[in-house]
Amino acid sequence: MRQENFFDIELFDLSVGYKQQRGVPVEVLNRLNFSAAHGEMVALIGSNGTGKSTLLRTIAGFQPWLAGDVRVGGKSIRSMGIKEMAQIISFVSTENIRVPNMTVFDLVAYGRFPYTNWMGSLTEDDRAVINSAIGMVGIKKLAHRSVLHISDGERQRAMIARALAQDTPVIILDEPTAYLDVSNKYEIFHLLQVMAADRNKTIILSTHDLNIAFREVDKLWMITENFSSQGAPEDAALKGWLDQLFQNEHIGFDTVEGGFFFKKKFRAKVKVIGDGVSMMWTLKALNRKGYQIVIEAEPDFTVHVKDNLWEYSSGLDNKKFENIYQLISFLDKQFGYNL
Amino acid sequence: MITRNNRGSYFSRFFILGSVFILFFIADLLLGSIIIPAGQVVSSLFSSAGAGETFHIIIMDFRLPKALTAVLTGAALSLSGLQMQTVFRNPLAGPYVLGISAGASLGVALFVMGFSTILSTAFISTSGSWSMALVAWAGSFLVLMLVLYVSVRVKDIMTILILGILFTSAVTAIVSILQYFSNESLLKAFIIWTMGSLGSVTWSQLAVLIPAVIAGIFLAFIKIKDLNAFLLGENYARSLGVSVISSRMIIFLSTSLLAGTITAFCGPIGFIGIAVPHICRVLFKTADHLVLVPAVLLTGGIVMLFSDIVSQLPGYQATLPVNSVTALIGIPIIIWMIVKNKKFVSVQ
Repeated sequence: MRQENFFDIELFDLSVGYKQQRGVPVEVLNRLNFSAAHGEMVALIGSNGTGKSTLLRTIAGFQPWLAGDVRVGGKSIRSMGIKEMAQIISFVSTENIRVPNMTVFDLVAYGRFPYTNWMGSLTEDDRAVINSAIGMVGIKKLAHRSVLHISDGERQRAMIARALAQDTPVIILDEPTAYLDVSNKYEIFHLLQVMAADRNKTIILSTHDLNIAFREVDKLWMITENFSSQGAPEDAALKGWLDQLFQNEHIGFDTVEGGFFFKKKFRAKVKVIGDGVSMMWTLKALNRKGYQIVIEAEPDFTVHVKDNLWEYSSGLDNKKFENIYQLISFLDKQFGYNL
Repeated sequence: MITRNNRGSYFSRFFILGSVFILFFIADLLLGSIIIPAGQVVSSLFSSAGAGETFHIIIMDFRLPKALTAVLTGAALSLSGLQMQTVFRNPLAGPYVLGISAGASLGVALFVMGFSTILSTAFISTSGSWSMALVAWAGSFLVLMLVLYVSVRVKDIMTILILGILFTSAVTAIVSILQYFSNESLLKAFIIWTMGSLGSVTWSQLAVLIPAVIAGIFLAFIKIKDLNAFLLGENYARSLGVSVISSRMIIFLSTSLLAGTITAFCGPIGFIGIAVPHICRVLFKTADHLVLVPAVLLTGGIVMLFSDIVSQLPGYQATLPVNSVTALIGIPIIIWMIVKNKKFVSVQ
């Protein structure tokens, strides 16, 4: 790609929403002050219905905002023409493109649209850009396959390749990893991370894959019903913002492990004795099943972890197991299934 | 944008289509209730008045304008169908099902029968082809704007189609009321018009038809790139730098010109507009409008010439209403299409 200009994005006291034909405008989000520097990948997170898509559509110039300003490269997008914007911001939506007789190459070639003549003829240069975009997302073999006959993951890659072919310094993606399997999710995130870092693009995406986003992005833009904030994922973890992301008391963010968990009531207290990797996985299993790991307090039962042997003891009761599954199955019977 | 790496195969397909087109055009001149020898056809076309005076009149005043009208009708309706299918991202869209032809009918009905109470019959018959075309354009554009208004709010394909049917029914109801109050001679004129006819178009009407259709085709050609963008939907079109509203307006203007003009002079002719674009997509295996626009023009012309030949029942005195023939040709194609892709539930 030849794009040489770098564009930062700044939102100043931005209020987004819809203007109704009658009555007051509906404000979806208000007074947002977010920024994204070039070379950064930013994840916009927030639970369903908080207005992530509306915000992205606003930054992409699809809908007017109510107050404040959106600046790209220091210039308000309000003052940009539609053709100028097409060379600065590219957008990948959640919309599923299913056009008969259109190949992956054709789809990616749409990225060259702002640069071609009235007939849309592709120059050799355009073809080179398209082919390199297809190569970058790893779908070279599919180039001449119909867009109707590729998987969701492949289509998402094709859409990202289309955005790359558009050769814009800013790429906005609305939930690019929805409907993908885990390995595809990771690969898409990684691909975008490389695009941001190596090509100095500013990438903003919304996502619900918090655990992946947490490990891959440079910055989080968080919106909840009550507040909005931005920062490195680690800042968000330290300051406890992530705990507030869900208006749900059962979901918490483990600030040590760096992941989300479902808060359960404890079934029983357990003391675990042992070391090494076996010990670590045993703790994870017990944690998953809702047993409280205690160190000092009086436990309900004890588990000794030895080499490939798990020994349960509670009072006079004593049992040995060959693997974690057997241990857990036994505990389930002892302490019941109800959480 | 679109590949165009198989330029060669497109040219060969266009060559074949072009040949078929010429063949059908000649056949349409030759065949009719009386069969005219080919030699006579040629001499009639290129001499002012030959030995066979009658043949000359039949060819020059009836068959040639009729064949030209057939070509224009097929081309115009097919192109407007293609544009509607692309803009609404709906494989079942077309001037007839969306009620655009009905809108043109309403204009014509109001003009022919409604104004008869205000204006004299003589005025209506002499006021010329332009007024007829104007009211049809106005009617079709009005319905298009209504369809657009609804489709912005309702994304569901079926709802839009049902609304098209409702528009058509409403127009039919208004027309029925007009018919009830109009006098016999106007009523008859209107009824014959609704049956659809290519044969009633005169040279003086062609003087309106030809420039209007050419203007419509010209508008479609300058919007070829935008039509391609609309395949991805409004949002993507905009993010690629298309001014969606103005671009869509020009496309609708083209559609109204094409479908409105044809409906004004030939009556409502259905199903060509839906069917021909699909035939072309199968023939050319492309979604690129740079190929599809000329392809539907040619194919539409061929299909309409064929319909005209069939409706003339060569050798017999009787003729069939041409819109019955187009329905019988178009509907099986549409049914095949629905069965083939079982799921087009929504525009998204």
